[in-house]
Amino acid sequence: MTDVMAGRSAAGPEPGAAPGEDSKGRRTSPTRGQASRRGQLVAWAFLGPFMVAFLLFVIWPLIHGIYLSLTDQSLTGAGGSFIGLGNYSEALSDPVMWTSIGNTVWFTLITTVPLVLLALIMALLVNTGLPGQWLWRLSFFMPFLLASTVISQIWVWIFNPQIGAANEILSAVGLEPIAWLQTANVDLISIAIATIWWTVGFNFLLYLAALQNIPTLQYEAAAVDGAGPWRQLFSITIPQLGPVTGVILVLQMLASLKLFDQAYQMMEGGSSETSRPIVQYIFEAGFVGYRFGYASAISYIFFVLILIVGIFQMVVLRNRKGSS
Amino acid sequence: MIDTRINRRSVLAGGLATAGLAALAGCTPAQGSQTTTLQFWHLLSGGDGITMQGMIDRINAAHGGFHVRPTVLAWGAPYYTKLAMAGAGGRAPDLAVMHSSRVSGYVPGGLLDPWDLNQLTELGVSESTFTDPVWNSSVVDGEVYSVALDAHPFITLYNTEICEEAGVLNSDGQLMRPDNPEDFLEMGREIAGVTGTYGLSYGFIGDGNQMWRLFYTLYCQHGQQMTFPQGGSVEVDGDAFVAVLEFMHRLVDGEVASQRGTIDAAVAEFAAQRTGMHFTGVWELPPMQEAGVPLGATMIPPIFGDEAVYADSHSFVLPHQANPDQQMRRDTYTVVAELLKNSITWAGAGHIPAYLPVTENEDYAELTPQAEYAEAADYLVYDPVAWFTGSGSNFVQQFGQIVGSAITSGSGYDQALEEFRRYVDNLLAQPNPANPQGGRS
Repeated sequence: MTDVMAGRSAAGPEPGAAPGEDSKGRRTSPTRGQASRRGQLVAWAFLGPFMVAFLLFVIWPLIHGIYLSLTDQSLTGAGGSFIGLGNYSEALSDPVMWTSIGNTVWFTLITTVPLVLLALIMALLVNTGLPGQWLWRLSFFMPFLLASTVISQIWVWIFNPQIGAANEILSAVGLEPIAWLQTANVDLISIAIATIWWTVGFNFLLYLAALQNIPTLQYEAAAVDGAGPWRQLFSITIPQLGPVTGVILVLQMLASLKLFDQAYQMMEGGSSETSRPIVQYIFEAGFVGYRFGYASAISYIFFVLILIVGIFQMVVLRNRKGSS
Repeated sequence: MIDTRINRRSVLAGGLATAGLAALAGCTPAQGSQTTTLQFWHLLSGGDGITMQGMIDRINAAHGGFHVRPTVLAWGAPYYTKLAMAGAGGRAPDLAVMHSSRVSGYVPGGLLDPWDLNQLTELGVSESTFTDPVWNSSVVDGEVYSVALDAHPFITLYNTEICEEAGVLNSDGQLMRPDNPEDFLEMGREIAGVTGTYGLSYGFIGDGNQMWRLFYTLYCQHGQQMTFPQGGSVEVDGDAFVAVLEFMHRLVDGEVASQRGTIDAAVAEFAAQRTGMHFTGVWELPPMQEAGVPLGATMIPPIFGDEAVYADSHSFVLPHQANPDQQMRRDTYTVVAELLKNSITWAGAGHIPAYLPVTENEDYAELTPQAEYAEAADYLVYDPVAWFTGSGSNFVQQFGQIVGSAITSGSGYDQALEEFRRYVDNLLAQPNPANPQGGRS
């Protein structure tokens, strides 16, 4: 049937017939051009809504944000006059912005490494065939299902300097209690601990899936060749997990750079010089300080920094792939 | 057989019919009375919110022409952002509550409309019905932009039984008021000797508001106030600044008060009667009464000589409306006047009513322990006037960050002072972001 129709449409309408009709006025199958146009229409019908949303909510704000960053627009509607690169030069000499970026980078470092290593260790443990696997999988993954408001509240209680579990543990081992969320330089580490507990389950799941995809034949062959468990781990398992580790690293770095909600909630909205991430500073500049233009400028500076990190990561991964 | 299945057509038809009926009902004058809805935003939660709701309910019951509909929002930066956006978007509520200390930052951006003094006077509200500090906090550039409902100072609550046992009550059964740091610290130790924990509950860890409230009270007790001249440099007495930080460090020595006191922990330990004194706002008074604490209340003693009480006021403001409905405005004035005149109810929540005819009434004199600190109204100090100061502002949070480690560690006072100067000077050099083209007003 399809072949017949294709043959007809390939032959095209007979001379003197109206488009889509033969010489006797009977309807014919669409020509290739018509089918192609119809296909395009169908494609646009499906793509259209997304394109409209994409233009409205991604491209337009992106362009409008660049324009705003060149003005002194206030949240209150006042201002809006063009000030050139004034916001950018102010931001680049703003120590608070650089501290906030420093905090964000530091947070990314102290979360990414444990989030990869812990997830790997947890996945390896579960994959060894511990009894009650479903329970391990569930308990490792469950925190990831909680909302940031819930985990923030849980950890605010755990870190309470007077009645929190964290200080109870310190006291039990003879250490001095700490004001976890109220001490400079400790506060961001506290937020990192909460974040690791919250999100490690997702990476664990990715690793577990990747581990289960490694053919058992490779282990059997290695065992026949006399490779012990450690040799198998370093010569088979970890190299095979290379691609998923790359994905986890990229996802994790992007997630950590976007730190905001748990930090904002655990610090009860109050910013600390040593814990304020850059996204919170953008929020404060725009919605608390009413400086939309300035907040936009910081956003684009941060955007460029992420772009640099992304390109660097891409180049490193490509080089590694090339060398391997 | 009747087809009871619901299909898309029947749902649409039903929806259209309902919408049509609703539209018709909306157009029908006889549908209800001529009641209009007066939108009122406020930030009063907990016990304060319940008290305010009771006051509004009474006004609604007494008036048929309008109905006050309150919208309660969480206080702090989010409330002020929402209020600013509502004003900027032209859909502002008819009436709102702000802290007096935040008003000066809102006026240059055109976010508030001034009150008409003639209309207020006709309703019995005028300059003579407020104390000077309270009235002055309402005036910006010669116009009245807020009408204060109360003053809510930072005070000392005390447990009468514990303090009596510690021998720190005077012959009237009220807490002694030492006039120097050593005597106050000694008093704290006496009480700690009775409780076995601390003498004083003071929550400050991680809370810039709490640190600023006590700091500025004690700073002003030196006979000083800070001045933040726009475009200039902060005027602050360095010796007083450092002396207060030193004292605050000695206060949280682990005996007089906890070194790691958070605001929640401080409330909990005083409510559990494990301490004898509590530095807090007046709003904590009703919960402590409900907790059964044998309660007294007084101003923070003049530890550095002068009487001074850090305070703020819940004030009524008219968020800017491009074309306000005149009848609605008149109703708004009526509501505010009635809330002021009935603010003896508000005094029950611990606040000092701003409307003098209420506090000068015998009913108020009989209200204990509120009457014990009524004279605080004469010694109120509000935040230094600037676009960035005020309750719940970033300024107080940053202040907490700057001085926090000096208070807990007992070192770095001079660095904290320098950092404070640098921080404030940087803000003073910036235009008011609510009105960037209006310069530094």
